[in-house]
Amino acid sequence: MNQADVTKLMSRLKIKYAPVRRRLKNIEGPEGRLKKIRKTLTALVKHERIELNFNRADETRGYVERLISDAIRYGDCHRATMELADYWLLEKQLIHKLFKVLVPRFENCPVSYTRMYRAPNLPPDKGYERAVLELRGNPYPPLLPDTTANRNLIHNVLLDEAHKEFRAQKYAEIAKKLEEADENMTKSPSDVAAESSQESETESSEEAEGQVPDEKMAQLSREKGEQPPDILGMFGLLRSYMY
Amino acid sequence: MFQRICMNLFRKQSSEINIKCRCGATFQGNAEARHQRNLLFTKEKQRQRENIGRIEKIEVQYTGTPEDVTLMMNKGISTPFNCAQHMSEMLMQRSALALIDDTTLWDMNHPLEADCQLRLLHFRDPDPYHVNKAFWRSCSMLLGAMAENVFKEEVHVELHSFPSPNVKTGSFVYDVNIGLDNWQPSQDELRIMSSQMVTLCQKNLKFERLEVNVDLALEMFKGNKYKREQIPHIASQISEGKTVVLYRVGDHIDLSRGPMVGDTSFVGKCTVTAVHQIETEQGILYRFQGVALPKGFLLNHFAYGILEDRAKKLNPGRLPSAPSHVSDVFQPASEAMSL
Repeated sequence: MNQADVTKLMSRLKIKYAPVRRRLKNIEGPEGRLKKIRKTLTALVKHERIELNFNRADETRGYVERLISDAIRYGDCHRATMELADYWLLEKQLIHKLFKVLVPRFENCPVSYTRMYRAPNLPPDKGYERAVLELRGNPYPPLLPDTTANRNLIHNVLLDEAHKEFRAQKYAEIAKKLEEADENMTKSPSDVAAESSQESETESSEEAEGQVPDEKMAQLSREKGEQPPDILGMFGLLRSYMY
Repeated sequence: MFQRICMNLFRKQSSEINIKCRCGATFQGNAEARHQRNLLFTKEKQRQRENIGRIEKIEVQYTGTPEDVTLMMNKGISTPFNCAQHMSEMLMQRSALALIDDTTLWDMNHPLEADCQLRLLHFRDPDPYHVNKAFWRSCSMLLGAMAENVFKEEVHVELHSFPSPNVKTGSFVYDVNIGLDNWQPSQDELRIMSSQMVTLCQKNLKFERLEVNVDLALEMFKGNKYKREQIPHIASQISEGKTVVLYRVGDHIDLSRGPMVGDTSFVGKCTVTAVHQIETEQGILYRFQGVALPKGFLLNHFAYGILEDRAKKLNPGRLPSAPSHVSDVFQPASEAMSL
């Protein structure tokens, strides 16, 4: 009824998190769990990329996201946020880093502030799943190979050629429409009038001649029940889909 | 690790089984010809192996990741793949092609013949042009293998050839005579062909290279009029009319100047997209077309669909003609011989 909108009270995290907390097995119980998380959180803010057990990384991730989003939302003059930062960050100089470095870095970040990867677990270790947790925009080299920048990779060669062919085809269509439009313009107005009276079906296309070619094409294809041809946008979108 | 060893053992067993199959039983038509061809190939390979005699050592200087090393290998026996086996599993799995002395492209399964410098190329190199091309060529050959096997016995399939591979055309090609008029494959038939090709690739068959005499090659391809015409012509272009290069993958043997990628496990996503009827000087042929990506190249369905749609259009590659007119295909590849 008169409930407050929760998203206005607290920041909405940009990651998926489990609804049930992990207990992070330790002697001290729930307090020990918080200690563990404080340690990991401090290390992450300090080093920006850490490798650790998957459970602990995943559990800490939510707290990091929450802390950074609160810092962005309320700034460093907000008492509660400052207390929160003081609680979570064991090394106090990192509070300055949080507000002066991380807040400007993530202010306009549309995605999560952290990234997590599964890491390999090699035989001498125990059988725990490993993970790498990092802050976005860290200064280290990327962990995953960049498959979009190198246009010589085979899928990029194929996509680029498809792109070229698609553009050439669309430009040819536009040129054809323009030619047709020119032909119609050169005809005398009386001819056009006569034509339109004879063939009422062609009226819509006659009207369309005066429009910008793109709009006209979009209209024509809409009539055919196709998607409107999007000359540049389609492949612009595509690049971002790769991988 | 244990699992991997098991897999290797299994692979070994399955290849042995494969060889047994090659040698046993009686076949008809295409299958019989293939069987005979394989026997000849195996025999010739054995002969060449025995001709090596006393084993000599060669020094192979490897440059690249994980570190530069010098390996002592066996002359005429050890392949770049064996070199990779000595160095790292990662190299074994990812190396598709070798580069000798920075000038010559070399198959992974082609024995080294002298002291040399070795580089191993893979699909994610800064400029993988040659690997891509070898991949496309290998896919063409696999397409031929599939086309020869996929039809029923009453259809007499004669492979013609495939034009020089060009990744930019968007599809790899094989021209085949299947002795049918106006055959147009249905969507389901194309799907079956794609699945056959995927099954072929999943067998992890090695591409075996063998240089043989023209006479032997002619005997091998006695059932195929196109190949018989091509062999003397190819030989005249690459080796003063004495030898031609054959490749075998599984039980399929084909003429190609190479190089090919190491084995079929490099082929990941793979589709046979279209079969076009083409009119040529040598009668009506069918141009089989397909598109594939190497293993590990993950592309979403929408983007791959675009590639598939483009691969459906008739490939502009050279149309097959009588061997005297063959210009670009069988010439000693400029880029293969000298980079």
